[in-house]
Amino acid sequence: MPLQRPFAQVDVFTAQPYLGNPLAVVLDGAGLNDAQMQGFARWTNLSETTFVLPPTPEAAAQGADYRVRIFTPGGELPFAGHPTLGSCHAWLEAGGTPQAQDRIVQECTKGLVQICRDGTRLAFAAPTFQRKNPSPGLLAQVAHALGLTAKQIISAQHLSNGTDWLGVLVDDRQTVLQLQPDHPALKNLGVKVGVAAVDTARAAPDLIASKLEVRAFASLNGIQEDPVTGSLNASLAQWLIADEYMPASYVVHQGTCIQREGRIHIRQDASGQVWVGGDSVTCIRGTATI
Amino acid sequence: MRQRRFKQVDVFTAQPYLGNPLAVVLDGSELSTEEMQSFARWTNLSETTFLLPPSPEAAAQGADYRVRIFTPGDELPFAGHPTLGSCHAWLQAGGVPQNEGLIVQECAKGLVPLRRDGTRLAFAAPSLQRSAPDAALIARVAAALGLQPAQIRAAQWLNNGPTWLGLLLDSMDTVLALQPDATALKGLAPGVGVAGMDAAPAAPDLIVRSNREARAFGARDAGTSTADDDTPSVEVRFFAPDIGVLEDPVTGSFNASLAQWLIADGIAPARYVAAQGTCIGRAGRVFITQDAQDQVWVGGDSVTCIDGQVTL
Repeated sequence: MPLQRPFAQVDVFTAQPYLGNPLAVVLDGAGLNDAQMQGFARWTNLSETTFVLPPTPEAAAQGADYRVRIFTPGGELPFAGHPTLGSCHAWLEAGGTPQAQDRIVQECTKGLVQICRDGTRLAFAAPTFQRKNPSPGLLAQVAHALGLTAKQIISAQHLSNGTDWLGVLVDDRQTVLQLQPDHPALKNLGVKVGVAAVDTARAAPDLIASKLEVRAFASLNGIQEDPVTGSLNASLAQWLIADEYMPASYVVHQGTCIQREGRIHIRQDASGQVWVGGDSVTCIRGTATI
Repeated sequence: MRQRRFKQVDVFTAQPYLGNPLAVVLDGSELSTEEMQSFARWTNLSETTFLLPPSPEAAAQGADYRVRIFTPGDELPFAGHPTLGSCHAWLQAGGVPQNEGLIVQECAKGLVPLRRDGTRLAFAAPSLQRSAPDAALIARVAAALGLQPAQIRAAQWLNNGPTWLGLLLDSMDTVLALQPDATALKGLAPGVGVAGMDAAPAAPDLIVRSNREARAFGARDAGTSTADDDTPSVEVRFFAPDIGVLEDPVTGSFNASLAQWLIADGIAPARYVAAQGTCIGRAGRVFITQDAQDQVWVGGDSVTCIDGQVTL
């Protein structure tokens, strides 16, 4: 027998409703089987739908406050960025009380994820990542599909933190905003591509730039351009801070070309841990009958 | 911004999550077109609707409510599943029609009558214009769908607002087995719908006779025996890669024009049930009826899955 379950649809990485990345959250996923969760996630048609559950006893013993399962319309993910912030926001708003005041611990399939409260914002600890140089042949093909010339590319890296991206740092914010990628060509190359440029226009000459413009192309997953991408920005931050292209704290703008205003707040703490933060705002509140 | 009543409804199914979803803002008053469009982009559903009081002119002609229909990219003058889903949500939220059995919806295209048929709602299919596509186009579409020429029994351009290319194939199994090449299909037609019929119900001359009987006696009483249960006798799929829809779960406008074509040409009886979405994990059911005045009605169940408030 279907139950009426508390439900929220949250806009993530924005303080202004409808300008971020939406997430559907079923606040009580207890008793649902995998097929029911997948069926609902297919039906919402959002990039991700999550189900909040009590933590498993083992995870609770290690401090987990809640457990979340994350589904795309086509499958389950071990971890993802915007679903982590949006689920935590919805859990807190529904009255969830963490064991520690400003530190929430989320259990997901990949393991435990630390989330810190920073005023109105939440930030997740970027997972460990690996990077390597792309082959010159692949990079040339990707550049061609993006419509970039070789001299517009400053650097490029394969980035992997559970989710794989080819990160491409280009010369100018306008270069990023003017891209008109050949999406079928990118899909055929078998890569998801994140393109970024340091925005120098607003930085005073003696300051290190503190703004990054990002676009994410994921035709491989059926999404031509993702509005705001947590996993990509986590890896980009770890790469760009380590290689000193960006300072230890900066703000990402993403979604500009598809009428969104995603804002991601990046911060590396004294221990070297990178935190990926943003506002979330609940737009739809009610019940889902599942 | 304020809190407005909101429902997300599953249309053309009685079983939650097996139909075509629709987001409905039950009070769309004082929202600008830009605000409506931005919310419709955000829901990411094929359609989002906003209910409003009817305009004075439409109210004078019997309109019960007004609806504005948005895709993530645009506003539509009319669409099928948003009409059934919006009417379902309006009735469930306490809407009372001027006429008990007939609801009149105002939308940008004009007034659309809906009738209640037990738990189901049905909209009157808009007028249809159709024409024969040229052979070269059919050959290219056939190649993109992986069809042999002999598997195509008939083809028509169907225009009831939107223009779709309709293909009648040789069986329901052929429809279910299609593996379309979306890239090859692009640019050939705004949308391509395919249909196959159950061979069992009757030989072609019997179907034509039952169709004549339906016209003579009124479809409600003269339907074939198979139409009295809910077993589908037509299998439908709809592809529209040009508008970013690889395969649509359940398509009201295409089923409307398909029914008008197949019934008029004596290919389908005056009452039948179509199944759609089978290959993508849905179980859409479209209930077609032609009445004694030759008006085709496109009906289906709707079920509210999400119920609450939206901040808009």
